[in-house]
Amino acid sequence: MRALAVALMAVCTTFAEAASALEFSPAERRRIEQLGPWPPPAAFDAGNAQAGRPDAIAFGQRLFFDPRLSPDGRFACASCHVPAQAFADAAPRGQGREALARNTPSLWNAVHERWYGWDGAFDSLWSQALQPLRAADEMGASARHISHTVRADPDLSCRYRRVFGNPPPGDDEATLVDVAKALGAFVGSLVSARTPFDDFRDALLRDDKTAAAPYPADAQRGLRLFIGRGQCSTCHLGPMLSNGEFGDTGLPFFVRPGVVDPGRHAGIAALRANPHNLLSRWADAPARGAGAVKTRHVEPQPRNFGEFKVPSLRNVALTAPYMHDGQIATLAGVVRHYSELNLERLHSDGEQILKPLRLSDSESADLVAFLDTLSDPRALQWRAPDWAPCDAAGP
Amino acid sequence: MLHWFCLIWAGLAGTAHAACGEQLPAPGRLQATAGGVQLAFAPRPAPLAVGRHFALEVEVCVPPGTPVPAALRVDADMPAHRHGMNYRATVQPLGPGRFVAEGLLFHMPGRWRFIFDLSGAGGAAPLRLTQEVALE
Repeated sequence: MRALAVALMAVCTTFAEAASALEFSPAERRRIEQLGPWPPPAAFDAGNAQAGRPDAIAFGQRLFFDPRLSPDGRFACASCHVPAQAFADAAPRGQGREALARNTPSLWNAVHERWYGWDGAFDSLWSQALQPLRAADEMGASARHISHTVRADPDLSCRYRRVFGNPPPGDDEATLVDVAKALGAFVGSLVSARTPFDDFRDALLRDDKTAAAPYPADAQRGLRLFIGRGQCSTCHLGPMLSNGEFGDTGLPFFVRPGVVDPGRHAGIAALRANPHNLLSRWADAPARGAGAVKTRHVEPQPRNFGEFKVPSLRNVALTAPYMHDGQIATLAGVVRHYSELNLERLHSDGEQILKPLRLSDSESADLVAFLDTLSDPRALQWRAPDWAPCDAAGP
Repeated sequence: MLHWFCLIWAGLAGTAHAACGEQLPAPGRLQATAGGVQLAFAPRPAPLAVGRHFALEVEVCVPPGTPVPAALRVDADMPAHRHGMNYRATVQPLGPGRFVAEGLLFHMPGRWRFIFDLSGAGGAAPLRLTQEVALE
């Protein structure tokens, strides 16, 4: 009897804890509402006429897993963007033909981002895809190599013709850009499913306490911190839990002793110099199209030095290690960083956004519990769709 | 210089046009006033949202007999955070006193301040108008 009473008390306590935490203020509810909805309206790779087309997605998928795109046959896109690792690689920094300076980002939901790369040097998925293909320290392929590989392989050549209506042209650069657009179409198709937080958010907004009840009490407390005293949602907001911009978070940004990663400062310069940006002749959308507004108006500023992209927090628990160079191993470590923030390390001289949170151990644990609920349970279980063999005579 | 310009402008002004901005879209429409000049503006799309590019349709209303500003510069900042936008707006004239500013984006919630710098016709001194908005 005594055991039953204790058990009942535990159940009641748990229920009461969860139910009481549902009493979010109107202001809190508005902030929680801003962390959704999920999925958001469909998005497509900017400047890419192939985006969303099933044939292009199938072609891009074939290319994504094909190591022959690297001249030595050692690296495919999937070598670093591993499906079983949420399309990241679980390493602090990427490893191509040489060791890289930055963490490999997950590709889930990339189509909903505004800029690509930790420094935002790219304005579309397809222009970003050109970087690892060609960079000497990543896959190291030339336009000629890529073009020859596609032309020489019956399946790739067939899929190219299905997507673009003609055989690969003799213009290697044009073929390379087409390959990148097919890759962009595939990556743009990777949108993860709803998370426990999404279910809680929606239940909360429709005052459905029964549907909200399974959401853990510690995650609810962490959510309150996230949108409240922690001010995390100043930058991590919207359905992607990111404002899509860049910030200085007080982390060291040395690539190695004596060499710094300038981050966004160099990213904007690279974007403007990129012959494949959305203002270039390679972009399918008109230069004045909505997708190019960001590229036309982005403004470099001194404070951009040492700024890196505010990452999406969707699937964040599945994509350790963290930060632009993977220097923090765990989510608890990230929370500790913001809790004990060293203001002297902030490089900007004007912004007064970040302050040490001075979280207690239980508050830190609550915040991590909340972050743990932002993952799609199936984000590590992506399986390649079973595309039909290519038939050049097909539709 | 700016002070004298404002005084002169205000002296000429009497009351600026009463229905300034009436032709602009109503959702989110706001006004700023300085030196007897009224400036109405409306975001497109409305309402303003964090992390979404928007344009502003702008109408400048000056007192009778006052030269219509020939040029407009639009910017915005967060005074409390001491930072501006990450984007520079471009402005196109649409007609006398009418402009459209494109490429603005507010990247975080809080109080933002719109800044409108008018350049007068015929070498008149510039005039700055501001208006703050709270963005949740």
